[in-house]
Amino acid sequence: MKRNLYVLISLIALASMILAACGAKPTEAPVAPVVTEAPVVATEAPVVAYVGEKLEAPDCNYGGTIKSIEAVDEFTVKFTFCGPEPAFIAKVGSVEAYNIYDADYLKEIGGDAVAMNDNPVGTGQYIVQEWVRGDHITLVPNPTYFGKAVDNTTLVLKWNKEAAARLLDLQAGNVDGIAEVTADDLPTIQADSNLKLAPRKINNFLYLGINNTYPPFDNEKVRQAFAMLINKQQIVDDFYAPGSVAATQFVPPGVKPGFTDGFVDTTYDMAKGVEMLKAEKFDFNKEYTLSYAERTRPYFPQPTKIAQAVQAQLAEAGIKVKLSMEEWATYLPATRAGEKELFFLGWSEDYPDATNWYDVFLTGSSPAFGDPFPDIVENIKKAAQSGDPVERQKIYDEVNKLYAQHVPTTVIAHGTVNQAYLASVENVVLGPYNENFGQMKTADGTMRYSQDGEPVSLMCADETDGNSFRACNLIFSKLYKFTTTSIAEPDLAEECVGNADATEWTCTLRQGVVFSNGAKLDANDVVATFSAGMDYNYPLRKGNTGTYQYFKDNFGPKVMNQPPE
Amino acid sequence: MTQFLLRRLLLVLPVLVGILLVTFIITRLVPGDPCYVMLGEHATEASCNDFNARFGLDKSIPEQFVRYALNLLKGEFGNSLKDRRPITTIIGERLPMTIELTVLAVTLSSFFGILLGVISALKRNTIFDTLTMLGANAGVSMPIFWLGLLLAYLFALVLKGTPFQLPPSGRLSAGMSMLPLAKTWGLQDVTGIKAFLLALLSNSAIMNGLLTGNYALTFDALKHLILPSVAVSTVSLAIIARMTRSALIDVLGQDYIRTARAKGLAYALVVRRHALRNALIPIVTIIGIQTGGLLSGAVLTETIFSLPGVGSRMVEAILNRDYPVVQGFAVVIALIFVFTNLIVDASYAYLDPRVRVK
Amino acid sequence: MSQQQVPTLSATTIFQRDNPSVIVVRRLFKHRSAKLGMFLLMVLIICAVFAEQIAPFDPIVPIKGEKRRAPPCIHLLGCPDDQPEHLMGIDGNTRDQFSRIIFGARLSLRIGVATVSLAIVIGALLGAIAGFVGGWLDDLIMRSMDVLQAFPGLLLAIAIVAVLGPGLINALLAIAIIEIPIFARVVRASVLSVKELEYVTASRALGASELRILFTSILPNSLTPLIVQGTLGIASAILSAAALSFLGLGAEFPTPEWGLMLGEERNSVFNAPFLVFFPGLAIMVTVLSFNLLGDGLRDVLDPRLSHGG
Repeated sequence: MKRNLYVLISLIALASMILAACGAKPTEAPVAPVVTEAPVVATEAPVVAYVGEKLEAPDCNYGGTIKSIEAVDEFTVKFTFCGPEPAFIAKVGSVEAYNIYDADYLKEIGGDAVAMNDNPVGTGQYIVQEWVRGDHITLVPNPTYFGKAVDNTTLVLKWNKEAAARLLDLQAGNVDGIAEVTADDLPTIQADSNLKLAPRKINNFLYLGINNTYPPFDNEKVRQAFAMLINKQQIVDDFYAPGSVAATQFVPPGVKPGFTDGFVDTTYDMAKGVEMLKAEKFDFNKEYTLSYAERTRPYFPQPTKIAQAVQAQLAEAGIKVKLSMEEWATYLPATRAGEKELFFLGWSEDYPDATNWYDVFLTGSSPAFGDPFPDIVENIKKAAQSGDPVERQKIYDEVNKLYAQHVPTTVIAHGTVNQAYLASVENVVLGPYNENFGQMKTADGTMRYSQDGEPVSLMCADETDGNSFRACNLIFSKLYKFTTTSIAEPDLAEECVGNADATEWTCTLRQGVVFSNGAKLDANDVVATFSAGMDYNYPLRKGNTGTYQYFKDNFGPKVMNQPPE
Repeated sequence: MTQFLLRRLLLVLPVLVGILLVTFIITRLVPGDPCYVMLGEHATEASCNDFNARFGLDKSIPEQFVRYALNLLKGEFGNSLKDRRPITTIIGERLPMTIELTVLAVTLSSFFGILLGVISALKRNTIFDTLTMLGANAGVSMPIFWLGLLLAYLFALVLKGTPFQLPPSGRLSAGMSMLPLAKTWGLQDVTGIKAFLLALLSNSAIMNGLLTGNYALTFDALKHLILPSVAVSTVSLAIIARMTRSALIDVLGQDYIRTARAKGLAYALVVRRHALRNALIPIVTIIGIQTGGLLSGAVLTETIFSLPGVGSRMVEAILNRDYPVVQGFAVVIALIFVFTNLIVDASYAYLDPRVRVK
Repeated sequence: MSQQQVPTLSATTIFQRDNPSVIVVRRLFKHRSAKLGMFLLMVLIICAVFAEQIAPFDPIVPIKGEKRRAPPCIHLLGCPDDQPEHLMGIDGNTRDQFSRIIFGARLSLRIGVATVSLAIVIGALLGAIAGFVGGWLDDLIMRSMDVLQAFPGLLLAIAIVAVLGPGLINALLAIAIIEIPIFARVVRASVLSVKELEYVTASRALGASELRILFTSILPNSLTPLIVQGTLGIASAILSAAALSFLGLGAEFPTPEWGLMLGEERNSVFNAPFLVFFPGLAIMVTVLSFNLLGDGLRDVLDPRLSHGG
């Protein structure tokens, strides 16, 4: 009888399952089009007067530097700033976060990065033929590209987390170029005549972030002591490629104005550091968590090994450190949200100016280090608004001293960067920020490149990750661009002219530029793109995680209508 | 036979319910607000209200579970936290890769395992036998991830430049294109289960190549699968070889074999017609049991060889704290496992009529 | 006439029997693969117990002044005497690999024994209750075991670690959980096989309580299969722990766990293969020793199962 009851129950369960399964179909992810209240966008008939959009902040107290962005006419955009912005061109031409999107297309996809990933529409040299998730992205030349056509017929972007596997692929001829060559592999490549190294001169740094909202790191003396306990030279000698240097202050030596010649912030002194910690009643029994992501970056060539080396150095001082290895995709937003007490991260320069260093990290645009220091912030703001390099250097000298005193973070090393290519690839010229893939020539016209991770998304306005940027650079365009030098060249804008005190920048857009879906580029596209990044309440501000960090970093620290924390 | 199958199927149901329960508990056990756990940094007030309504988080636990189970049956597994893509889509992309790997591994391990086992049984106590059994022991003890790395070293580096060179990672060579079948066949408007099945087919590089006549694609995919499937199949191969040997020795010692030989039948015939068929019964059982181990081995192998399958995605999801993916994949994997066992039971019943009567 | 030993006939001679354990041990020592297994295990145990004496360096503290990732330098095999001797080379963080492997033996043995002990205690309890009490309790427990076994072992362990968070203790718990069903089944099977035997009925007739019957008459019967399964379980636990650590879900840096060492140096297989070869070899030898021992025990303890191996 028990068996029959069993069978009955099972039959009922089975029947309901079948009914439920047949009743509803599994849904794919339809993107609900967002109903926006944005007014009518410009039409194509030239006789109708152009309705230009305008993004405007009510005043300059919201915490950001942009006062308004206005589409003056179909091909002119005016940026008005709250204060002088001498680095404007460098900023908008630097990172792929300032890719320009078509306003109508944004509306169509509701500003959602997931939808953009399935069908990216840009004005770049290439268009996406396929994105086989987890494996590769195939790019083909964009037939409607407004610039010089590319010299290859296909560009395949692959990725592999393991540096050794990338090198092996290169040696086997499976790919034509690889990113992030580790120091241990340099001798192998130099010895192989089929391969060539392509060094890149770029300013970067690796830092140990210390969040001063987590005790005991709210104590300034504890932070100063920690800075003394790390043997930076040892780490550089052991893990970095030749030519790399240990950090002596906040910025790398190449950042001028900014770097103070001859200044050293802390010297390695284990005994003194431990003494200081004991004096501050540091708890040596507690275990501290040091987070990092196992992702090779130019500034972080061997993450796990470097992390263990620092762990061992701190252990020598008697400090118990637990390493927490995390995944890049979640690690980055977590650190920027201020969730980690001790963490490794780094930075490669986006554009050649000190504002890409001091302003990004030390003004509190993200709570990664905890609370910013008002004296540092004040000085940085002053220096950003001045156009005189001598005056700025004086201010930065002061900032460097304050950095050594407050220790919001301790910078460890500046790495040299190497990529490797097959010797047969012609015309490999690496600029400081990008590779000139479009001009590289291979025997069969297909250029295959392996980087160290899959792009997180193709809506780079909401990304900060270099792997996404490399892809975006090929598919989209910005107002200006950097190619093989560190001088910005006009791209979508024919030119941007600033007024006398650099508070107003007027950009004249190139005419006749067409997106890959046929839409024409006009000034409202620029306004819509920047609105999504700068206005928290903009209906098309969805992105991937909705953070749009680069807008906060370069034009913030806060965006318009940003709710208080 | 049908009655046997039906009975077996019904007995599987409580196990299925148990699986759902376990995966349900997985996310409820994680500390923190379930909405934040499942939505991550997209957990705003609006989306949480939505989430709570859908999963009835204000209702009692049993009701929550029922809703969760019903949602699963409707095919709503939720979205990945990492890129907010629906998990069903991700499953459609990743599952074919793992199935390719597992099927290839099962084929290799069954074929060579049975072959080696039969030869060892027939040549009992010779050098061949001793060596094979020692090798089998070693094979069972070998960590798969180590073997995979050594194979990669051997075939990608040591044999570099020879025709035996094999790629050490990745699913396809750079430049190989794998267009979705929907596009090639003009079936873009299909939705629902049909779309899902179509996606499953197009995401299998081997099937995609075969169905579109792009044999280069199939060949390239197979080339990339050789090393991983060898690595995965090793443990299984060893176990099957041992089992085959002992089963065949058992059977060969039976009376009816002696009778057949006494009747004058050739030894080869006896082995083939009588011994093997009877020995197959426990062998098939073992093969079925091994499928679970192969799925586990796939996780490790996919990570080493950078194959975009279910296993590597699962590990990523765990390191990323991407709980919806962990939950969804756990259900799918368990389901596959359960139904594979069902198939094994069925073939067991087919081979041994005595089982059906029990 | 030479003096011959006349065998004396006495009661003790006729009725004396060897202690069964002695018989087992003697047969074990004769078993081919078991001998190899025991020898390897002995080596491992010596390494584990005397790790501090055998290992030339500290397994965790980096060595100062030496070249990272230096290949093995064995003076006996020709390495020049002015170079420091490192039998298995130096790893990426300037630590002597040989010392790490030796200390890893201690860790692996601990992991194996701890997980299996926990699994046996819980599994045996569940199996005994299921077998002895029977009825709906038996069904419930066995269905739960089915559910646990419905997931491929490693994947379930990974999922458990996903909930508990990475770390060695959590990994051990996860591995113990996936091993429970095997022991539960084993104990249940032996409980069922003796439950209705005559000596049990006799005990009951004599007035012994159910619990006493369970512990004195029935459970000892399951000792034999438990020993065999336990040994094999240790092998499987060590493999699972190495796999979890390899994936970054088990032991944390800088513990000298073999799977962790492999996982960390995954990259190096192409330019420093010795960093990959030795940890993996250590795992294989350890697991092999337990497998051989377990196989030997199975052959020896239950003669019906031996196939002339």
